[in-house]
Amino acid sequence: MKQIRTEDCRSWCQFLIFSGLLGFSLSGITEDETDSPSENQGNTDRRLETPAESVDLLPDELPSNLLWQTNDEDPEFASPNALRGGTFYTWMLSFPLTMRTVGPDSNGSFAGFLRPIQFGPIAFHPQTRRPIPMLATHWAIGDDGRSIYFRIHPDAKWSDGEPVTADDFVFALHFMRSKEIVAPWYNNYYSERVKDMKKYDELTYGVLGADAKPDVEMFANYAIGPRPEHFHNLTDSWVQDYNWRPEPTTGPYHVGTVEDGKFVELDRTENWWANDLRYVRNRFNPDKIRISVIRDENTAYLHFLNGEIDTFGLVIPEYWHDKTDHEVYKRGYVAKYWFYHRLPVPSAGMYLNTAKPLLDDVNIRYGLAHSINIERVIETVLRGDYERLPTFQLGFGAYDNSSIRPREFNVKKAAEYFKKAGFESRDRYGIRVKKDDAGTVIGRLSFTVTYGTPIHTDRLVVLKEEAKKAGVELKLELLDSSASFKKMREKKHQIAWLTWNSSGFSPRYWEHFHSKNANVTQSNNVTNTSIPEMDSLIMKFRASANLEERIGLAHTLEQMVHDHGAVIPTYQVPYTREAAWRWLELPEWLGTETSGSLFNSQATSQGYSSGGLFWINEDKKKEILAMKNKNEKMEALTVIDETYRVFPIAETDVEEGE
Amino acid sequence: MARISKFLNISLDPQTVKQWKRFRSIKRGYYSALILVFLLVLSCFAELLVNSRALIVSYEGEWYFPTYGWVIPGDTFGLDYDYETNYRELQQHFREQDEGDWVLMPLVPFDPFENDFSTTYGASAPSLATKHFLGTDKTGRDVLARLVYGFRIAMGFSIVLLVCSYIAGIAVGCAMGYWGGAFDLLFQRLIEIWNTIPFLYVIMIVASVVTPNFWTLVIVMVIFGWTAMTWNMRTSTYKEKAREYVNAARALGAGNTRVIGIHIIPNTISVIVTFIPFSIAGGVSALTALDYLGFGLPPPTPSWGELLRRGTQSLEHPWIVASVVIAIIIVLLMVTYIGEAIREAFDPKKFTYYE
Repeated sequence: MKQIRTEDCRSWCQFLIFSGLLGFSLSGITEDETDSPSENQGNTDRRLETPAESVDLLPDELPSNLLWQTNDEDPEFASPNALRGGTFYTWMLSFPLTMRTVGPDSNGSFAGFLRPIQFGPIAFHPQTRRPIPMLATHWAIGDDGRSIYFRIHPDAKWSDGEPVTADDFVFALHFMRSKEIVAPWYNNYYSERVKDMKKYDELTYGVLGADAKPDVEMFANYAIGPRPEHFHNLTDSWVQDYNWRPEPTTGPYHVGTVEDGKFVELDRTENWWANDLRYVRNRFNPDKIRISVIRDENTAYLHFLNGEIDTFGLVIPEYWHDKTDHEVYKRGYVAKYWFYHRLPVPSAGMYLNTAKPLLDDVNIRYGLAHSINIERVIETVLRGDYERLPTFQLGFGAYDNSSIRPREFNVKKAAEYFKKAGFESRDRYGIRVKKDDAGTVIGRLSFTVTYGTPIHTDRLVVLKEEAKKAGVELKLELLDSSASFKKMREKKHQIAWLTWNSSGFSPRYWEHFHSKNANVTQSNNVTNTSIPEMDSLIMKFRASANLEERIGLAHTLEQMVHDHGAVIPTYQVPYTREAAWRWLELPEWLGTETSGSLFNSQATSQGYSSGGLFWINEDKKKEILAMKNKNEKMEALTVIDETYRVFPIAETDVEEGE
Repeated sequence: MARISKFLNISLDPQTVKQWKRFRSIKRGYYSALILVFLLVLSCFAELLVNSRALIVSYEGEWYFPTYGWVIPGDTFGLDYDYETNYRELQQHFREQDEGDWVLMPLVPFDPFENDFSTTYGASAPSLATKHFLGTDKTGRDVLARLVYGFRIAMGFSIVLLVCSYIAGIAVGCAMGYWGGAFDLLFQRLIEIWNTIPFLYVIMIVASVVTPNFWTLVIVMVIFGWTAMTWNMRTSTYKEKAREYVNAARALGAGNTRVIGIHIIPNTISVIVTFIPFSIAGGVSALTALDYLGFGLPPPTPSWGELLRRGTQSLEHPWIVASVVIAIIIVLLMVTYIGEAIREAFDPKKFTYYE
């Protein structure tokens, strides 16, 4: 998982908008996809699991006993009323450094626009979460449980008119493994995790993965998108040669006009092959997407209020409550949407370094959890808009252990735990201290909280003041975001305030809690958790391909994380909030269960094919602009949709795991 | 001044008396100096004026003075918690009980750290009723309290910075002027090179690796700020060194340290004194700028730069930015007036614009 560095408004919006960057897109595993060896996780055990002599190749002939599957029975989720046409105006903070999607500088925010316009063989239905056909019409899982076979749609074409063939898929593997693309992470991933790809005929091919996985995970990991073989010439200067040459695409848009430093336009591919595909029709309606460079968020907001940008993210309470106090909202030209969704919840929390003195005592950890007044932060600074995050990982459907209740702020409970740990009295500043028999102070409940997001200071100052009541001193250490993350990964912190991005289809424990990652630098086990029983369960969880067993193990592991008390989960934002000019129209149902954003022009978001449901009503645009010129009013519109809201389970007296 | 010298029974140099009189005659600078000194002294006792701790609590016939000293837990006053008493609530509580117990709160009953969300969430506007005379910021902290404590920190910082960098600057400058020659040449070049190091970047780098605190900031700023004074001291020393009294002192056998310390520096004092107010203004604005950019004192230290940043980020709460901008303007204006007046008082030419 990658840390979401600027988790807040900016980032929340970007997180939603550029979800292709933070999550993964099926048209190609991005570097954030994590269940994989990566040099910076010290994860090399996978290599050892596969003996060198094992036959890691697909059979030469297509197996005859394959059970070909497709999916044409899930409901459509786009509106038949959608209107095609118009230009969608949006923005980015800086001009992209390249048009490549791999290689140096290719992981910037613009990748969030480029990657999702490449289709994968399949995608996931945003409601049922089942695989749906995209480039492939049918698929089948091999007997070994780790190979998948695909049949390509005969009409599939690149945006330059060339047909998509099995060669393009096989080439993708060769491409991703080649040194010329200067992408060691991908080289490694596609060598270690993907063992083989083979063409059976023009429109049939197979993929062999490293491990068997439950089927959703199989697709998420091994349904690799194609690369246009006719377009790429892999030479030593590939990185330079292709820096400004956008790849042909299989998705609805391709890169059109580019004005250096100013904007990039994505044009809708004419006579796009997938126009009438079941899960694609009535989607991706604008003819053009213009992404302009605006180097400051406040300026961008002014552009938005002026109607030069069509939508703007309002997740941050300050925006939703204060900055929308403007004529364009009051006169009804701009609508506000608050839409709950069900996506993996980023793990925002305080991560206690159990290798540090005091924090190695479970009583202190429990006491601390009861001294942290998240509820007050949510209620005040966050205006009651965020919700308490009950546990470390959430939002994975059946994997969620919903019986866990967070340790709430409670001075009395905190005092009990602190007393158990020997912290009986308070010093002159009201901070709890531990004294030896002679009465000399030998311990003081003072901890440094390391964080890297200046905007979070507002939340932490409230926690700091509240913690004093429990006799805990929190010293705030604000570092530059990369310096703070480095400090945490080097395990030099006491308490880390950070948010892990969450994606994929099941929770992840290995990188955060396995003892292999404890007490070593550059790993994501920032709590230095090292529990033998947990290790064996984690390995079992990782190896298991049985969904039921995995779910059971995930519940147990989540409970163990809670009992260990090294993570104090903070808050979650299970919704998107956006403002949009009223000429942008949405289906009646606004979005899907997995819509990270309502006005996402891209095909996928977090792996789910939920994008491109909105359309532009050109007549309405003229009308509204005319009204605006005459200062006329219409009724203001604020939509709050709670269809997919998960209401917290009523508080019961669940006993603490001790 | 004359009265003071009489009272202290010391005789002042007639030149100094003259300068003092001239300083006093420049009203703008003189009154600014009085006000600023008054504010400085007042800010030293800010805890008695702006604080969430009560000045006096009378409970069951006993008197408590919580301002300085140990935290007094709520259960001391019969409340049901063992953390620090909330004295504003205690005052309310005693009033309701009406049993003769009372609490005397300071003028502004808030400290610069606590979050008062009793009226609204987010920033609240200035109000006499809530006693937030300049309103609160987004996290419910009293703007006036943060201004007052921020002033104390900024002024304290400037003074410490001034003393440290002047000691280094004057010492090196004097040595350069006094010895001259190769020593002078070498140091001039060294200082020129040193001056080209971009100070702001160094601060940014330091701030990204460690959280700067009061003393690290002082040290970094002294390291890069001491050179300013050397040029002036060098020229003054050159000038003074050539005078007869220096020769006389040397002829009498005075050593280098004595000549510089006892003879030369007192005669260059007008240069030093003239620069002091401007250095203070420089120190305050440097700290404010660093805090504004987020490279200054760590949160939640009250500081003007941080207030300025918050203010400009939320212009919909104009009282934050207005308070701090006005405060900065007033203080810097006063310091500048004092500087002008001092320069004028030490100027041998008598008739100028200021009269």
